Amino acid sequence: MAILEKKVILILAGIVLSVLTFAQTRKITGKVTGPDQSPLEGATVVVKGSGNATTTLKDGTFAIEVPGGGKTLVVTYAGMEDLEIPVSGRTDFQIHLKGKGSQLDDVVVIGYGTQKRRDLTGAIATLSSKAYKDQPVINASSALQGRVAGVAVTNNSGAPGGAVKIRIRGANSINANNDPLYVVDGVALSSIGLSDLNVNDIESMEVLKDASATAVYGSRGANGVVIITTKTGVSGVPRVDYNGFVSFNKPMKKYQLMDPVTYAKTANLTAGASVFPDPQSFAGKGTDWQSLIFDNSTTQSHQLSVAGGKEGTRYYISGFYTDQSGILVNSHQKRFGIRSNLDLKLTSRIDFGLNFYVARINSHNNGDMGSKGNPVTSALTWAPTEPVYDAPGQYNRFGISPIWSNPYMTIKERNSDNFSNVGVFNGKLRYTITDWLTLTVNAGLDMNISKSAYLNNDWISQGNPGSGQGSSESYTFQNSNILTFHKTFDRHDLTATALVEATSNKYNTFSASGSGLTSLSNGYYNLGLNTSKAISSGYSNWSLLSYMGRIAYSYNNKYLLTATIRRDGSSKFQGNNKWSSFPSFSAGWKLSNEQFIQEMGVFSNLKLRAGWGVTGNQAIGPYSTLGLLNGVIYSYGTGTVSQGYTLGNPATPDVKWETSRQTDVGVDAGFLNGRLNISADYYNKNTSDLLLFTRISNYDGGGSYLKNIGKVNNKGWEFMIEGTPYKDGNFTWSTGFNAAFNQNKVIDLGKDSMLQRTAIGGGLISAPIQVVKVGQPMGAFYLIPWEGVYQADKGIYKAGDAKYRDVSGNGSVGFEDRVISGSATPKFTWGFNNNFSYKNFELNIFIQGSHGNKIFNATYAATAVPTSDVKFINLADAANYWTSSNTGSTWANPGSKNKSWVESTQFLQDGSYVRLKNVSLSYTLGRSLLKLVSAKIYVSAQNIATITKYKGFDPEATTTSAGSDVDGAIDLGAYPSPKTITVGLQLKF
Amino acid sequence: MKRILQYSICILTLGIMGTACKKYLEETPKGSITPVSFYKTASDLQMAEAALAIQLNGAFNQVGSAYYGGDDIVSKRSGNKIDMSDFDVFNANSSNSRMTNWWNYFYATVKSANSLLVHYNDATQATQDQRNNAGGYAYFMRATSYFYLTRTWGEVPMPTETTIVDNRPNAKVQDIYTLIVADLQKAETMLPDHWSAPAKQSGVDIFPTKGSAKALLANVYLTMAGWPLKQTDKYALAAAKAKEVIDGKATWGYSLLTNFADIWKIGNRFNTEAVFACYYNNQIPTYSWENGNMMSPNPYAPDYEEGGWEDGMGDISFYNSFPTGPRKDATYQKDYFVKNDPNNVVDWQHTLQKHPYFLKYRDDFSYDWSTHKAGNWWGSATSFLIRYSEVLLTYAEAQAMSSGPDASAYDAVRQVRSRAGLPPLSAGLSQADFRDSVVAERGWEFAGEFGVRWFDLVRTETVQKANANRDASEASLINQPSDANHTYYWAPVPVIK
Repeated sequence: MAILEKKVILILAGIVLSVLTFAQTRKITGKVTGPDQSPLEGATVVVKGSGNATTTLKDGTFAIEVPGGGKTLVVTYAGMEDLEIPVSGRTDFQIHLKGKGSQLDDVVVIGYGTQKRRDLTGAIATLSSKAYKDQPVINASSALQGRVAGVAVTNNSGAPGGAVKIRIRGANSINANNDPLYVVDGVALSSIGLSDLNVNDIESMEVLKDASATAVYGSRGANGVVIITTKTGVSGVPRVDYNGFVSFNKPMKKYQLMDPVTYAKTANLTAGASVFPDPQSFAGKGTDWQSLIFDNSTTQSHQLSVAGGKEGTRYYISGFYTDQSGILVNSHQKRFGIRSNLDLKLTSRIDFGLNFYVARINSHNNGDMGSKGNPVTSALTWAPTEPVYDAPGQYNRFGISPIWSNPYMTIKERNSDNFSNVGVFNGKLRYTITDWLTLTVNAGLDMNISKSAYLNNDWISQGNPGSGQGSSESYTFQNSNILTFHKTFDRHDLTATALVEATSNKYNTFSASGSGLTSLSNGYYNLGLNTSKAISSGYSNWSLLSYMGRIAYSYNNKYLLTATIRRDGSSKFQGNNKWSSFPSFSAGWKLSNEQFIQEMGVFSNLKLRAGWGVTGNQAIGPYSTLGLLNGVIYSYGTGTVSQGYTLGNPATPDVKWETSRQTDVGVDAGFLNGRLNISADYYNKNTSDLLLFTRISNYDGGGSYLKNIGKVNNKGWEFMIEGTPYKDGNFTWSTGFNAAFNQNKVIDLGKDSMLQRTAIGGGLISAPIQVVKVGQPMGAFYLIPWEGVYQADKGIYKAGDAKYRDVSGNGSVGFEDRVISGSATPKFTWGFNNNFSYKNFELNIFIQGSHGNKIFNATYAATAVPTSDVKFINLADAANYWTSSNTGSTWANPGSKNKSWVESTQFLQDGSYVRLKNVSLSYTLGRSLLKLVSAKIYVSAQNIATITKYKGFDPEATTTSAGSDVDGAIDLGAYPSPKTITVGLQLKF
Repeated sequence: MKRILQYSICILTLGIMGTACKKYLEETPKGSITPVSFYKTASDLQMAEAALAIQLNGAFNQVGSAYYGGDDIVSKRSGNKIDMSDFDVFNANSSNSRMTNWWNYFYATVKSANSLLVHYNDATQATQDQRNNAGGYAYFMRATSYFYLTRTWGEVPMPTETTIVDNRPNAKVQDIYTLIVADLQKAETMLPDHWSAPAKQSGVDIFPTKGSAKALLANVYLTMAGWPLKQTDKYALAAAKAKEVIDGKATWGYSLLTNFADIWKIGNRFNTEAVFACYYNNQIPTYSWENGNMMSPNPYAPDYEEGGWEDGMGDISFYNSFPTGPRKDATYQKDYFVKNDPNNVVDWQHTLQKHPYFLKYRDDFSYDWSTHKAGNWWGSATSFLIRYSEVLLTYAEAQAMSSGPDASAYDAVRQVRSRAGLPPLSAGLSQADFRDSVVAERGWEFAGEFGVRWFDLVRTETVQKANANRDASEASLINQPSDANHTYYWAPVPVIK
C-alpha cells in the first residue's frame, strides 16, 4: 500500500514537473571532435532524461533543444568512449571524445556472463561483424570461414542453403555429432541451425575453444561453443540501415569429358563388340549433359534495419529477404524474416529484454542430392551419344549407359519443396538485488516448423505418378536462472555465478504419400487423388537438466583464476548413467601489469593463460539406448503397404557420457600500443568413452549397437596475428592472419583395432572405403593400392589391365588388399585477411586455405571405370588409355577382361586448396553529397580463384554428411559452390 | 527483512527444477515400438511376419553372382559384368560384390526369425493358432535362409538366438542341415493350410503353408542325399514328403498352370503354381528397396538391342540341348528388336552378343511388348522359390532313387513334360538314367531361376561335367572345377562377414 502511494505521488510530480519545465526549453549548440581533433560526423547527442536527440553534421556541429529539466548531455560515437557532460547554464559546447583504449577493454560474452577481454583465462576468440562487412554473406558460417584460428569451415554443399561443416579444434567423436554448440542471446540452439539465422542481425560471435571456457556448457561443450550476440539499439535518433546486393553465380569449373565419337569408340572396346556400329556418325553431334544441368544463377539479398532508443528503452528491428538460385537448374531458396530486439528498464533494479526472430525459408529442389544417381553424377556419366528428347516434349528416359534416368529430365521434372518456419525467442529479466548480486532469468524457445511436399509426375515415376506431404515440428524450451555475485575488496576481485538450467526438446513428424495419382492438375496439394496412400508419423523428446557454478577471481589485476563445475543430467542415458560432472580450472597472469615487463617498454599487453577442463558429449539420438524395434513396410505384392516390425539394434542401458579432457596453454601479446596483437594457443584434447555405434557382423543380422569404447586425441596449435602495418591520414592497411594445425588421431577402439564404415553408393562402390583405425586420423581411407597398368602379360592379366598391389599375397586382388591411404581430415587450415583503405575507397582481400586432406572422388571414378551402374566410361583423360603404342598411359585399356576397381587409390585425390574467398572494392559517399544519407557501394568477387590439385568441381563439396567425421570427403556428385560476382549498396539514414 | 525476501526468491527460483528432476529426465518413446510392448497381440505377430517377408524379399529382388557357375547361365566377361563372370569362369574371390546380397539378407532373415521364435509364445492376446502360425513361419524362413546359405557357402556361422557373438565360429554342414530339418518339421505342424488377407491375395497364400514346409523339406532331403552329405537314406524321406504335397495339392491349392508362359505374366504374379515365392510391388506409395523387384524387366534383357542390363545370358550349349516346345519359347526370347525397332527384328545369333536371352521375369507393368522397351528400371514380378513343378520333379527323382522309377515317378515327370510339349520319358529307364533325365528336366524347367540348376549340379557332383560342354564362343574358364575334389563347389565366404 505504501509503495503504491509512493508511485502515485511520483507520477503526479513527474507530470507537474514536465509541465513546468516545458516553458523553459532552450537551445544549445556545440561541436564534437575525435581523438585527433578532427570533427566527428554522425555522433549522437542526447539530452538525458528526455527524448531529445540529434546527430552531428559533417563539421561535427550540432544544435539541440534542452528542456528545462535537462541536466546532462550524453554523446556517443561508435569506437569512442561515451561521454556525459553536465549542461549547467552553458549554451555552447566543445566536446572532445576519447577513443576506446583498445579492444582489450571490450566486453566479451562468455557462457552465462561477461568478462573483459583483458581478464579472460580461456581460449576465446571474438569475430565482430565488422570483420566481414565487405564480404557479401548470406550465411553466418561463411562469415566464420577462415577468420578464426582453429575453426574449420567447409561448404559441403553449394546448394542454396546447403550444408556447412564447422569444426572447432578438430573432431572428437566417432559416432556422435561434432558440430559446435550455437548459443544465441543465451538460447542454445537445438531445433534450428546457425544457417537459419539472419547473419545481418549478428553483432558478434565469440568462439569458445578450450575446455576451461566451454566447461560451463558441460555436456554440450565438447565441440566448442559459438556464442552469438545479436544487435541492440543505441539511445538516440533512429538509425536506418539498408544493405542490399545482387550476386551473379557460375560454376567454378567443368569436367573434361569425351566427345561422342571417342565415347562410342571406347564403348565398343569396353563391350568387346560394336555397340556403336558407326562412331564417326556422332561427329559434331551429341549432348553436353554437363552444360544442361548447370546454369548461371543470381542471388539477391536485401536487409533493412532500424535501431534507436530513448531513456529506458532501446530497440533494434530488422527485416531481410534473400532469393538464391542454385547453379544446378531448377533449384532455389527464398528466405525472409524479421527480428525485434527490445530492451526495457522497468525500474532502477529491473531490466527486461525481449528478443524475437522468425523467418520463413522456402526451398525448391535443394534437398539431398546424395544418392548415386543424382543429377551431377548422372550428367557426367550419361552417354554423350544420347539425345535429350526422343521426340519434341518426350524425354529420352533411359540411355545406353548408365542405368540412371536422364539427368536433365530428373532435374527439370523434379518437384520437391520444403517450407520452414524457424524462430528464436527469448525473454530476459535482470533483477539487480544489490549492487553486488544480480539474478538473471532467461526463458527461450527455438523452433522449426517445416512442411515438405513433392510431386512425382510421369517422368519421375513412369506410369505411376504420386504426391506426398510431410510436416515436422521441433521445439526446444530452455530456462536458465543465473545468480551472479561480484565484489571488489582491496586488490581482490571476485565474481561468482550459479546456474540452474532446464532444456527440453519435442520433435514430431507426420507424412503422407501416395501413388497412382489420378490427376496432376492439383500438384501436390490434393493427396486424395492418389489411388494408394501411406501415412507415417514419429515422435521424440529429450531433456537436459543442469547445475553450474563458477568463480572468477583476480588479485591485484595481475593474477587471474577461474574454476567452474557443471553437473548435467540427460534423458538419453539410463539409470545411474544419466548424471555426470564437468569441472574446469584456468589461470592467467597479466605480465604487462608487472613492473619488470612495463620497464621493458615493449609490450602494451602480455598475458599467459593455462586451463584444463572436462566436457561431455551426449549427442546421440533420444531412445538410442532402448533397443527399439525397426519399422518396415511390406506390400504383400499389392499396391498398398502394411507396417511391419522386427528386432532392431540391441538395448544398451550401460551406455554413458562421452567425455573430453582438454588442456590449453596460451599467450596474448600486444605491441605498439595495441597496433599489433598476437595470440597463440597450444591444446591437447583427449576424448574417451567414445560413444561408438559398433557394427554388428552381417551373420548376426547386421546393424550396429552403441558402446562406450575408445579414445580420440586432438592436439595442435593456433596462431593469430592482427595489426595495422601502415596508417597515415589517407591510407590504412590492416591485416589479420590466422592459422591452425590440428593432429587428429584415434588412440584406442577397445578390443578392435579397426572398424569398417558402411559402404555408400552400392552399384558404384561395393565395399567400405573408410575405416576408423587406431593410430590413424578419423576419416581414414581404406583402398586397394593402385599401381597403374600392366606393361606386359602376367598370369591372367594382360598388358593394359589395371594393376593393383596384392597386399594379402593371396594371388588375387580384392577387398582384403585394402590399405590405409590417407585421411579426409585436414591438418592445417588458415585465413589471411587484408583491408586497404584510401580516402573513401576500401579494398578487402581474403584468402583461405586447407591442407593435408584427401578426397575420394567417386564422381570422377564413375566416369572412368565400368561399374554395375555405369557400363561405359566418359572421362576425357581415360580416353588416353594404355595400348601397345601408348605405353606411357596409366589408364587401363577399356577392353580389359579383368576388373578395374573403383575402390582403389586411383581415385583418391589431394583435397588441399588455397582459395581467394573474397575480393571487394567499396566506395563511400559522404553525407555532404547526399544530405541525409551516407552511402557505400561495392563490387566483390567470391571463390574467384582456387589453387588445388583436386580434379572434381570443388574441393569443399562432399556427399558425406556434414555431421560425420569418420565418413568424410567422398564426392559422389556433390553440389559444388559457385564463383560469384557481387554488386552491393549500403545506405545509412 | 526485505533482503531475506529477495534472497528467498532467488533460492526458490534456483530450486524449482530440482524437485521435478527425476520425472523430467525419463524417456518415453511414444512414437516407437519397444521390445517390451511388442509380441503381445495377434497384430504384433502379423507385423513381425511382414518384417520377415521383407527381409527375404531383399535376397531375391535381383540376380546374384553365386549361381553363375551353373551351365544354364553365362555372363559376358567385360566392363561391369566381371563380378558375375568371375563365378561363371570359376575365378571368384571373397570380394565379389554380387554375392553379398544373399549373405546379408539371409542372415537378416535369420535374425528376424530368431527374434520371433524367442517371442511368439509371449503373444498371450493372440490365439494358440495365431501363435503357432507365427512360430511356424519363423521356422520356415530360418530353414529357407540356412538352406541357401549352406548350399552356397558350405560351412557358415549359425546363430539360433538373438545374442551378438563376435567371431562366431562356422557350423558344420551336418549341423546346419539338422537344424533345417528340425525347423521344417516344426513348421509343417505349426503352419496353417491357408492364411487370410493380407497374407492371401487373389486366392494365393503369400506366406508359406503346411504344404510349403513339406515341399521345402522334400527339397532339403533330396539335397542331403547328394553332395556333400550323401545320405542316400534321405531319398525315401524326400519322396514321402513330396508325395504328401502332391496328395494334398487340393488342400493347399497347388496346380500346374496350363501354359508355361503364363507363369511369367505380370497379371499372374499371384498364381497357384507358387508353393513358395517372394512377392513385390513397386507401385506402392513410398519408396522401399525390398518391395520392388529388379528381376524384372531389365537383368535378362539384351543391352545393345533393347536397352536391358544383360546381367545374365543363356548358355549356348545348354540352349542347344534344350528341347523345343512351348516351354523353350517362354524361357528364351525369340525376336530381338534392334534399337527397339519392331521392324528391325533379328534372331539371337544376330544379336551383338550372339547369345539367347531369358524371357522369364521380363513382363512387367512398365514393359512395352510392342517395342521391347522397359519404362522403369525395376518392377513387380514374383520371384518363385518353389513352383509346384519342382515338387513333382523332386518326387520323381527321390522316388526313383529310393524305390526305383515306378509308375508314380514316371507320372510326376509326365505332368511337367507334357506342359512343355514333350512326350513322357521312355519307359524302362535304369534308376541312374531316370535320375539323370529328371535332373536334366529340372535344368530346363528352372533355367535362370535363382540357382536351381547350379545347386542340382553341386549335389549331383556334375559341375565339371556340365561345364565341359561349354560352347567355344563363351568366355573361357579361368579355373577348372573338379567333380572329384569339389573345387569351386562353394563360394568364398564374403571378406566382410
